[in-house]
Amino acid sequence: MAEAAVVADQFALLAERLSAFGKTVTAKVPIAQTPKRLVWTLNKAKLYRYVPVLPKEKRHPVPLLLVFALMNRPYILDLRPGHSFVEFMVNQGYDLYLLDWGSPGPEDKNLKFDDYTLEYIPRAIRKMKAISGVEEFSMLGWCIGAILATVYSALRPDDGLRNLILLTAPLDFSNKQDITFSKWVDERFFDVDKVLAAVGNMPAEMIDYGARALKPVDNYVLNYLKLWDNLDNPHVVEAWKAMNTWVTDNVPLAGGVFRQLIVELYRNDRLMRGEWMIRGERVDLGRIRANLLTVIAEGDHITPPCQSEAILSKVSSKDKELFRTPGGHIGIMAGSGAHKITWPHLDHWLGRRSG
Amino acid sequence: MADERATNGKTTNGKDLDPMAAFRDMRDTYLDAWSKTMVDAVNTEAYAKASGQMLDTYLSASAPFREIMEKTMLQALQQLSMPSRADVISLAERLTNVEMKLDDIDAKLDKLTELRKQPASATRVRKPAAVAPANKRRGKR
Repeated sequence: MAEAAVVADQFALLAERLSAFGKTVTAKVPIAQTPKRLVWTLNKAKLYRYVPVLPKEKRHPVPLLLVFALMNRPYILDLRPGHSFVEFMVNQGYDLYLLDWGSPGPEDKNLKFDDYTLEYIPRAIRKMKAISGVEEFSMLGWCIGAILATVYSALRPDDGLRNLILLTAPLDFSNKQDITFSKWVDERFFDVDKVLAAVGNMPAEMIDYGARALKPVDNYVLNYLKLWDNLDNPHVVEAWKAMNTWVTDNVPLAGGVFRQLIVELYRNDRLMRGEWMIRGERVDLGRIRANLLTVIAEGDHITPPCQSEAILSKVSSKDKELFRTPGGHIGIMAGSGAHKITWPHLDHWLGRRSG
Repeated sequence: MADERATNGKTTNGKDLDPMAAFRDMRDTYLDAWSKTMVDAVNTEAYAKASGQMLDTYLSASAPFREIMEKTMLQALQQLSMPSRADVISLAERLTNVEMKLDDIDAKLDKLTELRKQPASATRVRKPAAVAPANKRRGKR
């Protein structure tokens, strides 16, 4: 009888943990809570300005524009209070703007890098300059956002860009062996036109699957096991909920951009070879003169380090730095160590160049 | 591990004895190895070929159904005098173009506002040099 009671207790405990586990994996928690104001919109794109917390005389005069990837929500930069890069930078006195691309609809399936870099970004920058009353600015691009920032910087080097920060930037596609995506989208195996003819925009679920399938056991098993093992630890559970809210909230990628990404970049490496044409203009990386900081995540499996190194030898910037940091593609900015390593370094580098 | 165990369900360092710890260590070791194997496996041409073939098969197989669905939906919408997907897309594209025109106007307004903020001396238009009357000019010749 006593043994039966012990086993019954274990079942009750299991039921309790399963219930907590189920609630956690389906929970959507409040995110992106740093106060901000919408200052510009175009189609689905929105430009936000974060409400400064320091008086004007204590703030850096050069504003910073954050440009995130097109197929994820940008609130990973402002995940939750106390764990937000945006909150950190606002507290350090930066005049901070965020470009949110929104979710493309069927009417946006023909949008290309050309539109984002030569229509959306310049217009958002014009508005930012008008609001902040300055001519110079800094720009931070992350992942695909780093491609956009790089292309814009090369095509419009005289628009007032003083500082350019590239995080985990997939720019060099020459190393086919180390870039798993390059193998998957090889033209022998992947018919990009057939896919886009069927779906229009690349569905968020397919992109999400692609990113997770690079490390299938980690993403489909270990991630949940980590939660199960730490259900009693509220710090881990809260962090897990916030990250899971972001990870499961993806947006489609405009068909035109996806096609360029596969054909122009992954297959033909046109950017690094200086052959990429954007609205008839050749993207010449040598025209980039802004101060440059490139951040590489040493454990990045989405953008392996080999993709972000060569940019430094291509640009004309006199002030340039390569910063390597431990962590993965997202972890370097939103992981538990981000506020100890990456954020302070970005602040230190940018603060000295934003006066 | 075993030498750390003591009586009363405590280890020698005072922590509660966890009978599942060994099992978890074994599990983690196994999963770690499995993880590395899978990372290597998906980075092969064979995986790329197989996943590409699966996607291609799905697209080929579902194409006739998608086509039928689209035609049927289009006909139904026409009969109900409702706009089709293409009509709505066309309208949305036109709205974006209007938004761009508005943004151009907004840029010009911002510029005008900026000019008005500048002190009068900075914005004063320089007077053109005085031009001698036509008859005087003629007279100089």
